[in-house]
Amino acid sequence: MESSIADKDIIRCVVESAEPWLAPDGKRLSVINLKTAASIANSQGISAKEVEITALKQGIIPRRYLRNIGTIGLDGQIKLLQTIVAVVGAGGLGGTIIELLARQGVGHLIIIDNDCFTERDLNRQIMSTEENLGEYKVTVAAKRVGEINSAITVTTFRERLTRENAQRLFGSAQVVADGLDNLPSRLAVEQACRQLTIPYVYASIAGFGGQLMTIFPEDEGLSSIYGSSNAIPEQGIEIKIGNPPATPAIIAALQVQEVVKIITGVGKPARNQILLVDARECAIDRIELRR
Amino acid sequence: MALITVRFYSLWRSRLGTDSATLQADNIDDALAQLEEKFGSRLREKLETAGIHLDGKIQDYSLILLNGIALRNLKSAELKEADVLHIFPPAIGG
Repeated sequence: MESSIADKDIIRCVVESAEPWLAPDGKRLSVINLKTAASIANSQGISAKEVEITALKQGIIPRRYLRNIGTIGLDGQIKLLQTIVAVVGAGGLGGTIIELLARQGVGHLIIIDNDCFTERDLNRQIMSTEENLGEYKVTVAAKRVGEINSAITVTTFRERLTRENAQRLFGSAQVVADGLDNLPSRLAVEQACRQLTIPYVYASIAGFGGQLMTIFPEDEGLSSIYGSSNAIPEQGIEIKIGNPPATPAIIAALQVQEVVKIITGVGKPARNQILLVDARECAIDRIELRR
Repeated sequence: MALITVRFYSLWRSRLGTDSATLQADNIDDALAQLEEKFGSRLREKLETAGIHLDGKIQDYSLILLNGIALRNLKSAELKEADVLHIFPPAIGG
């Protein structure tokens, strides 16, 4: 399709504003900085995200993504900026997932959580501070995303996810990342993702360990480890051994890598396998799952 | 009678101080009974010293897979030579 005159104007502005950049490996790149992108967005009446996408399509890298491009390429960054990811839960896992997805440059985040921060969260929930105790997690998370990357669109839902509302909350999300703390809610997420035919990055933690699995709609998913009977536990060993601060950071980081792999097509998602991380023993095990 | 391998993961491995064991068993029930006999009290004792009290048998507070299939999803309880049981605690927090 031919670009409109307005599109050509935006492209011209972006190209004319680009600056040369000598990469550490000696490669000559063109980049655009935050202030310039914001100024073009303002003058052209478009979003900063649209400016960034336009720049990347011209081979011009927003400086903020310079360290992303080597692993995912220009196309990968464009795909991320054009993608909607839902994060269910904005606590231990969810807070770090949101933080990293914002830095990675996922274009639209849907954040779902009905809780407020309490003192019990301070040890591990990256977005909780002494100052914001009592505030809704989604409110704090949206503010944080805006501070990290103002080009990102954020939609928040101050609701508890259920089987009944999950599909509505996910809306047009293309991937869902798990920041939950109980199994019934995870099963509701899995069911909704199957119905919406989108992938679900499951993870959970306890003590120094955690587990992770990426579930596509056609995969066996959670029943492959918990079984298909109704006698499944609501909570696990974490009620005995707790959740120290490093564990959610480790597991959430792996979840973010899964989301990035799914969206960009780079690498191989952890499908039909359970990844068991045990920081206590410096061990990562992978069990291939079968039907 | 089949010779099978049991692989321990996560907290069970670190508390038991081993990542695997072998058993001679006819079927799943037999294997789980031997698992409890050989490792149940040892695991509970090790956990108890860390202030973690668990009731019941090892199978009651573990996720167990046979060759990558959850026990609850198995179609047959029979074991065959070189089968592998994977056993680890459920981690459900977030």
